[in-house]
Amino acid sequence: MNQIWIIAKLEIRRAFFSRRALWVYLLALFPAVLFFGHGVNVQYQRSEYAGKPVTPAAILDRIPTGAAESDVLAAAGQPITDRQWKRRDTQRRSLQYYDGSNRVWLEFENGALKSTRRRTLNSFEEDSKVYAGVFQFFYLRLAIFFGCLGIFINLFRGEMIDKSLHYWFLAPVRREILLLGKYCAGLIASAAIFGGGALLSFGALLAYQSSADLQSYLQSDALSHGTWYFLSAVLGCVGYGSVFLAAGLLLRNPIIPALVMLLWESINGFLPDLLQKLSVLHYLQSLCPVAPPLDPSVPPLARMILAPAAPTSAWAAITGLLAVTALVLYVASRTARRLEINYGTE
Amino acid sequence: MAVFKRGYQRYAGPRTSNLTRFLAVPRFVWPKLLAERFVIILLVNSLFWPMLCAGFIYVSNHAELLPSLGSGGDDGIRKMLTIDGKFFAIFMNVQSTFAIILAAIAGPGLIAPDLANNALPLYFARPLSRWTYIGARMMVLFGLLSLVTLLPGLIVFGMQASLASSAWLAANWTLGQGMVLGFLLYIFMVSLIALTCSAYVKWRVVAGALVLGFFFVLAGASKIINQVFRVEWGSLLNPGYAIYTVWCALLGVETAEDAPGAWECFTVLLVMLGALLAVLLRKLRPVEVVS
Repeated sequence: MNQIWIIAKLEIRRAFFSRRALWVYLLALFPAVLFFGHGVNVQYQRSEYAGKPVTPAAILDRIPTGAAESDVLAAAGQPITDRQWKRRDTQRRSLQYYDGSNRVWLEFENGALKSTRRRTLNSFEEDSKVYAGVFQFFYLRLAIFFGCLGIFINLFRGEMIDKSLHYWFLAPVRREILLLGKYCAGLIASAAIFGGGALLSFGALLAYQSSADLQSYLQSDALSHGTWYFLSAVLGCVGYGSVFLAAGLLLRNPIIPALVMLLWESINGFLPDLLQKLSVLHYLQSLCPVAPPLDPSVPPLARMILAPAAPTSAWAAITGLLAVTALVLYVASRTARRLEINYGTE
Repeated sequence: MAVFKRGYQRYAGPRTSNLTRFLAVPRFVWPKLLAERFVIILLVNSLFWPMLCAGFIYVSNHAELLPSLGSGGDDGIRKMLTIDGKFFAIFMNVQSTFAIILAAIAGPGLIAPDLANNALPLYFARPLSRWTYIGARMMVLFGLLSLVTLLPGLIVFGMQASLASSAWLAANWTLGQGMVLGFLLYIFMVSLIALTCSAYVKWRVVAGALVLGFFFVLAGASKIINQVFRVEWGSLLNPGYAIYTVWCALLGVETAEDAPGAWECFTVLLVMLGALLAVLLRKLRPVEVVS
């Protein structure tokens, strides 16, 4: 145990402070920066719309599709913004109103109302769903995936490329212990970076909510949601980390299994239930507290095929992930024992 | 006897032509790449979609064989069987995925080993400029990526042109032109990304991950920018989306109205390519500091 910790301590510094770690930090902090930016934007809009004329929602709701521009202007009064342009021989006009909490756009084509778009200045429910989508589609699938790829492949394959692995192998320490020490270092670094990033972005999401929404959320689900997001991120590092560490040991070009895994995880939602359960992502998504909205850009045909499997229970997901990790690490340790260094082929 | 002082003079013998020097790198690298099992697997897999498209073209040009279209027929099915810009845009989109994977596998090994082993002075000691070196490396990828993009595209277009009437070709020759231009731009973009990643990180393995990350992470990042800020301009950051929009414009296919237009996407692509080229040129400096 002491040896594992000594090796981990030596490696942690490299994982946290190397130049390549900068990209990992960028990936981990990107959602937090976006939510922080959105918070600033919401605050700015709140102050901007505070002084704008308010048109009652009842009046805007009564305007039927197909109504003439002049009738709308007579009923709803002067808009906040009025934009006119011509596209493909069609005269278009967009009038924006504000009903006290929503911004409403009335879109006209050739003088007749074509559609109405409504957007709240800020809706906590909508934002929490957006956060769930960002966490599951970007953070788990891409940020943690590529971050762990960078951190864990570096542990063995990086040392082989640097021609420095033999120094470790000359030390009086068993290969399994070396592997565990390196894995612990990668895990501590990735869990701190991505777990911290998840909490930071969750905090950024809560920072700009109205006090009423925030108060009720803090009293109900905030703590449990935050904990599950953090736990999902950490378990993502546990699962992906073990796979990439083993790939770095077993194969000369670990990009190929990484690519296969990326494709497998990407098509996960389209696979039959049983196959969906053969991926890290399925178990991580099972732990997420809020279901993400379906991506609107997904074509209708793909939506028909898309059938996410029923989520696995939290304890089964955690146990399953830990068991797979233990198995992968066992295989990697067996490989490490037989590993012979041949720098010439790198 | 040791020689302490030696004078050098410029080589005055016969030189190979510029073209021969330019093609020297691809000549050696292509056989090495084609000997890789994974590259062959990818090349074979990339042929399935063009074959399906060729089958579709055959069926669309023999619509009378379908019982429902024999006499008068169903307009919906007839419309679905039309070979137009949308068909080629989808074809190009699918083939582009193979090109990315191929670039991620083949690209990193082109510059990274030269930088990692300080081999650049060996190249630049010969009559080879930086631009020629980059061009020669890009030529390697151009040849390889053409096999999954341009070549199948031209075959599919040629098949449609030969099966359809001459009136179709007269009316739709711009589709072929748009496809060639679109693929050329795409190959240039993917090659430049692969070469820049290869030069930036020096490690083959990490460079491969970076090529994949460039496309996948930027696509994800652009989506979440759109989601969080409820905007559409975030799509501009996605090179896949930007190039698809340019393709649609070249093929005369309409895109979503509220999404960024073709010119905006083209401008962003140019800026992106300029930035990548600047990084590549910065990394490829023919100097060696001996300490």
